[in-house]
Amino acid sequence: MNLSRRDFTKIGSKIVIGAASGPVIIDALVKKARALEISPLRDYDWNEHFWGYVVDTTKCIGCGRCANACKLENEVPFDEPVYRTWVERYRVLKEGEAVIDSPNGSIDGFTDDIPEDEINKAFYVPKICNHCENPPCVQVCPVGATYTTNDGVVLVDYEYCIGCRYCIQACPYGARYYNNEKGTADKCTWCYHRITRGLLPACVKACPVGARKFGDLKDTESEVNKILDRERINVHKPELGTKPKVYYIGLDRVVR
Amino acid sequence: MQPHLKRAFTLLAIIIIAFIFVRSLAVPGSFGEYGWYRGDSVNELRSQDIEYAGSRTCGDVGCHNTLYSIWNQSRHKTVNCETCHGPSEKHASNIRIMPEPADDSRDFCGLCHYNRVARPDGFPQVDPETHGQNLRCAYCHNPHKPWFV
Ligand code: HEC
Ligand code: HEC
Ligand code: HEC
Repeated sequence: MNLSRRDFTKIGSKIVIGAASGPVIIDALVKKARALEISPLRDYDWNEHFWGYVVDTTKCIGCGRCANACKLENEVPFDEPVYRTWVERYRVLKEGEAVIDSPNGSIDGFTDDIPEDEINKAFYVPKICNHCENPPCVQVCPVGATYTTNDGVVLVDYEYCIGCRYCIQACPYGARYYNNEKGTADKCTWCYHRITRGLLPACVKACPVGARKFGDLKDTESEVNKILDRERINVHKPELGTKPKVYYIGLDRVVR
Repeated sequence: MQPHLKRAFTLLAIIIIAFIFVRSLAVPGSFGEYGWYRGDSVNELRSQDIEYAGSRTCGDVGCHNTLYSIWNQSRHKTVNCETCHGPSEKHASNIRIMPEPADDSRDFCGLCHYNRVARPDGFPQVDPETHGQNLRCAYCHNPHKPWFV
């Protein structure tokens, strides 16, 4: 074979580069394939589920046991005005103004401080992270410390979060807060540690009137799917295109 | 190749290698496994402790099964044990750890039952000023079976 030095170097270097990059490319492909197929969690396949949440505002009695249970289950600081879920009270006055409040996130209950004869209608609206299919909070994270799982839950990586609070600003629902104890952003996880073990989120468990429902949107027989089929539902701020997965029954037009 | 180009290429190669080296140290192993995040963090979040055991656990045979069946047929069957008694998973897995005693004050029942305008009309509510002569609610109602029916 007649090979010039120049050709030898050319071919040689191509082989070396190819051999070196091959495993890297294969490794990346394998990782991609695993991400689609394999669940990172033992005895739970995150590709088999897609979680959804229904709030029936017509049932809520504003007792605040959900917000209380959430703080206890998830060690959310009690002495700070931060909540993963809370209940808002809307009172539409006869003059047309809507008064909205949520003293201590509803944990201590509500007291009537506006006379009944000045009120046209009044109701409670439980609020919680919407776990949007198109989450603005995940888009803005500069380090990849917040993400959507394959089963549709938006989580925060507390080890990796740098606490820059961009995500808190980006959430149009005010569902995120800064956790002073952890020094990171924090939010509702739909009790990921519970739902991946077949339990319901703590707030759903605590609700005495069934105003909060949680279930699998991939399971056609699940209660949430039946509600979505049967009831007239709405989501918060649909015009933003965030595609929330918390669906509301009886959402009034004054609700923001 | 001209020497000044050679120097530039060598420098570039060193920079690239240094970048790859620093990146491999800085980026956690499981980053990018499932998406643009640390794959291990999903398991870390899942390993959080459970606090609420659920009413059915309280009603296990040999535990509060009598109380459970009374409660389960009462108007309070939608109010879970731990909504009044507080999270009790630690108690359920080790009965030597007692849960906090339930709040038996009037105001606690009142969180759900005091008259409030914003509550749905059908929900049973009482006037905190006049109902029950300011006695503890449990004096007349059994919290586990608030009514005799
Ligand atoms: C509406 C709130 C409420 C609910 C729901 C409730 N409890 Fe209670 N429980 C109380 C209160 C208040 C007391 C204290 C009773 C008293 O002071 O007479 C109590 C007392 C008890 C006691 C100790 C007193 C005794 O009777 O020996 C046990 C055990 C108990 N509850 C278990 C349960 C279990 C199990 C459930 C669920 C099946 C449950 N409770 C549901 C409010 C509640
Ligand atoms: C977490 C909310 C909650 C708490 C706390 C609570 N209840 Fe109830 N209570 C309910 C619900 C829900 C019902 C069922 C209402 C229905 O069937 O429409 C109910 C029903 C009742 C009823 C029957 C009302 C009727 O019309 O028959 C009585 C009486 C009652 N509760 C008393 C109490 C007493 C006493 C306490 C305090 C020990 C208490 N409740 C604490 C939620 C609560
Ligand atoms: C002195 C005994 C007594 C005490 C104390 C008492 N209740 Fe009652 N409660 C009654 C009786 C009797 C009734 C049925 C007659 C009525 O509706 O007033 C009743 C009815 C109720 C009802 C059903 C009302 C409805 O419209 O269906 C609720 C809810 C209730 N009580 C909650 C409470 C709560 C909460 C407390 C504590 C703040 C309390 N009760 C304290 C005796 C008592």
